[in-house]
Amino acid sequence: MSYTLRGRLESRLTAALLPIAVAAALAAALHRWWPLEVAALMVGVGVVLDVAAYHPLLRYQPGWLALPLGALELVLVMALAAGFHVRAPLEPAVAFFACSWLWTQVLGHAAFPLMRAEYSEDGGELAGAGQAAAAAAVAVLALGGGVAWATRPPVVHLHGVVRGPLLVDREETLVGGVVRGGIVITADGVTIRGTTVIGGDYGIEIREATRVTLERVTILRAREDGIHARRSAVTVRDCTVVARPGTQGIDISFAMHDHSEVSGCTVVGGRSGIEIHFTMASVRDNVVTGSGIALTEMSMGSLEGNVADAIACSDHSFCDVERNTASSFATTYGSEAKLRDNSFRRAHASADSVLER
Amino acid sequence: MADSHEVAIVGSGLAALTAKAALADAEIDAVVFGDSPDPATAWRVRAAAIRQTHMRSESDGHCRPHTFPGLAARRAWRERDVWPLLLSVTDRYRPSVDEFLADADMVRKDSGWDASFRRVRIAGISPVPGGFRLEHRTPVPGTCQVCARYEGPFRHVLVATGHPGLNVPEELRGDPRVVHAYEAHGYGERVAVVGAGMAAATEWRNALAAGADVISVRRREPLRRPLNLPRHLFTRRGLAAYHRLDPRTRVSFLRELSAPSYPPGREWDVRVHVTQQVPEEADQVVCATGFVRGAANEPLLASLPRHDEWVELAPDATVPSLTDETRTLAVSGVHAQWAFPGADTLAGMRYVAHRFVRRCRTP
Repeated sequence: MSYTLRGRLESRLTAALLPIAVAAALAAALHRWWPLEVAALMVGVGVVLDVAAYHPLLRYQPGWLALPLGALELVLVMALAAGFHVRAPLEPAVAFFACSWLWTQVLGHAAFPLMRAEYSEDGGELAGAGQAAAAAAVAVLALGGGVAWATRPPVVHLHGVVRGPLLVDREETLVGGVVRGGIVITADGVTIRGTTVIGGDYGIEIREATRVTLERVTILRAREDGIHARRSAVTVRDCTVVARPGTQGIDISFAMHDHSEVSGCTVVGGRSGIEIHFTMASVRDNVVTGSGIALTEMSMGSLEGNVADAIACSDHSFCDVERNTASSFATTYGSEAKLRDNSFRRAHASADSVLER
Repeated sequence: MADSHEVAIVGSGLAALTAKAALADAEIDAVVFGDSPDPATAWRVRAAAIRQTHMRSESDGHCRPHTFPGLAARRAWRERDVWPLLLSVTDRYRPSVDEFLADADMVRKDSGWDASFRRVRIAGISPVPGGFRLEHRTPVPGTCQVCARYEGPFRHVLVATGHPGLNVPEELRGDPRVVHAYEAHGYGERVAVVGAGMAAATEWRNALAAGADVISVRRREPLRRPLNLPRHLFTRRGLAAYHRLDPRTRVSFLRELSAPSYPPGREWDVRVHVTQQVPEEADQVVCATGFVRGAANEPLLASLPRHDEWVELAPDATVPSLTDETRTLAVSGVHAQWAFPGADTLAGMRYVAHRFVRRCRTP
């Protein structure tokens, strides 16, 4: 088909109406914004490609080209979702995209030509009803965005030094400041950004909370672990933790059904720098000085690009270990580790473990 | 909306059938005037004459008003097989001639063609206030005279008369060895094929397959280019640029399109003797010289303003000087190339039919 620019946009937006409506319904049912965020990215990527690439480059678009173009759009949407920190679970997000793409193909190849005889001659333009549907798609998206904006968690700016321990028991974003005596998080969807925590039993303790994000936090002089998460899903980025001897810098445990992430952190001291127990997690690009990183106790996940004294995958865990630098690596107690492009002075596997290079 | 007294189609070929189907889809009744009650008759004879087994157009090369479901989707559904659909999305589905003709029969049935058809050859179209009167001549019983009769007036008239006739070069007329490629024929032992286009290339292959010694008679080397027009010329995007061409450039463009050509590809590379004159020793001369060209040769259109051999038409294939808010005179088929360069294709006929339907919907 030879689309006109208007035809491309009308067809795309009209086809997006149902996926956007489904995304809105999903968002309402799950109390999560990711379906709408993914839908918005999907429409945005499509519209930008239509205007900037497809229209100038493709005077004629054969049917088969929809497949590689769809794959390209999927890659861009997922990359942008990661870039904008959209908390979309991978498989449902890909499934949502795939269903939306399939729906678009059904409409473009069958339903639109059936509804409007001149559809292909007019380069995908849909005239009255189609334009209304396209406008409705934009309106639903804008409405969803408006609701998301209006109901977004409050942002609390901390100024100066705040006496802790600070209990965060509702969805909110804390920004900046210094908290003495630690922070305890018990609510889902909490974000802490650019805060320094000094002292406390734990620097930041997270109890049974999901969608918790800690960005650019600094933890100093906590009596126990710097970051201590139990039965929680946590994303920790660009943190600095100075841990006391005998403690753990970051300890995320007992959350096998949620995925956690630790990336770009610097951990100094402690008995163990980053410790993951019975949790699915990815641990990337961290620097641990004076101790090590361990995925243990039936954990599953990846260790990528970290620098530490020692790295371990133990106690029936499954680990993808890639591009790490450490003096030693060990996989023990029935664990399985796949190694690629690492720099380990020693790598050891116990008799009951598997080390795949 | 237009009713049966308002819309007329002059012609009874595939362009007329396509227009009738589009009008029926829009629930607009129309009277069809023509020679043949079967709209596929002329096409069927030509396809059989050149032993054509598969369509040159793709899945949406049919007479229905909607491109979907095309012939590939229909076959996939009928045979519970996705292969035609896969071929279609890669632009490689060529329906068989039988498949196309069976579908044309269905369209004929579904569109109410038979009930609307009147076996009358229209000899003239006269503009009257708010429409057009159609003139035909009938013999006066018992005399050798004819008397003029009139139909209408009709508010909206579509002229879909097709090619004015088969073209046989002047110097070969009357030669008993001559047969036109589009007439039913067998092959002699030494066959001269006159022409250098698609029909000629087909005849070289057919005659060779029949065991004949084949001589290609042509004045110049044929062009080798894809059979179908560039695809964007079938849609609004490509047509917008085409419609912006000034008349002289448009004439040059259409001339180039009309130049004899056949597709590149090994299947068309056959070994034949080439000469510029029909040899005496040929026992059969097949004229693969296409059709008589030009609106000047179509009596109903000869008096209309032309650019070279093409009737001047608006982008919606209407005749500007005879179309206004009260009436429409539009042209479909090969004579509509000024509006749509691929007007002699099924897609082109559908394009004109849709524009004509829009005109008929005007209050």
